[in-house]
Amino acid sequence: MDDLEADAGDPEELSVRPYTLTQGRTAPARDDLTLITIVKTVDPPPGRSALRGLQPEHHVILRQCRGSAAVAEISAGLNLPVSVTKILIDDLVARGQVTTRPPIAMAAGNESDMNLLRAVRDGLRRL
Amino acid sequence: MVFADSEPAAGGVHVSTPPAAVKILVAGGFGVGKTTLVGAVSEVTPLHTEEYLTVASEGVDDVGGVEEKTTTTVAMDFGRITVNPQLVVYLFGTPGQERFWFMWNDLVHGALGAVVLADTRRLESSFASIDFFESRGIPFVIGVNCFHGQVDRGEQEVRDALTLGPEVPLVMGDMRSKEVGRDLLLALVEHLITTLSTA
Repeated sequence: MDDLEADAGDPEELSVRPYTLTQGRTAPARDDLTLITIVKTVDPPPGRSALRGLQPEHHVILRQCRGSAAVAEISAGLNLPVSVTKILIDDLVARGQVTTRPPIAMAAGNESDMNLLRAVRDGLRRL
Repeated sequence: MVFADSEPAAGGVHVSTPPAAVKILVAGGFGVGKTTLVGAVSEVTPLHTEEYLTVASEGVDDVGGVEEKTTTTVAMDFGRITVNPQLVVYLFGTPGQERFWFMWNDLVHGALGAVVLADTRRLESSFASIDFFESRGIPFVIGVNCFHGQVDRGEQEVRDALTLGPEVPLVMGDMRSKEVGRDLLLALVEHLITTLSTA
């Protein structure tokens, strides 16, 4: 399956249409995944019997997300458009095989936002 | 829906809490150095991803009212800075075609703010980005990319040309430099902190 990542070229050149991987679905069942929603494979990872019916791309996602990854990173790793990637991730969410963490939402005048910004500033200063 | 951050999943499967993520956008005209900046500060080589957007057809595509919508692919590069084990900043270089941003809510939704890169030889290529962030109320800073340390226009001249208010931070420098990129991002975060504390 590592070959899959290495061989996947420009989506235009894929031998299958991207939405074939999603059985023709063009939108996820839920619409709450964002570019920076963090996805993490459950620990321990699903066993072989739990992987029945999954596409090779689902396996790649489960492997990549053992350490957690953002939706955009998974999309880049699969070399598939973000919308296709979201559908595949959603399949795994529905099966309870990954969990997701939405991005931090900023709300004006909030003390936790100030703490967040300070944390970002302190982290940047260490660059 | 409610997402379980750290609750055990069914069957006693343990889930440790993944880091939280925030996003900063890097905008500016074609060839102004967006990916260069992302690469200079990112802990990983910039990654590339694409999205399909459904857009209204241009007049030239008109085929007698039969086809009114078309799918287009927009591409972007992005990088990552882990500021601490619980917090990751993603930097997204926005696609050059600003007219698509309005259709791509996910790109700008939830962004802390933006960096608009400008090239003094063609400042007009940054106008669309500035207009966009102003219209959306997204805070931004300007980075003037001085290739090879060349400074052919002064800061005030650039401010005037871009009709920037005095509150908008502006950093001049070579965006290939990690230090310049860091200072630019710091200018944005300081600007956000100032804005938040005076709100």
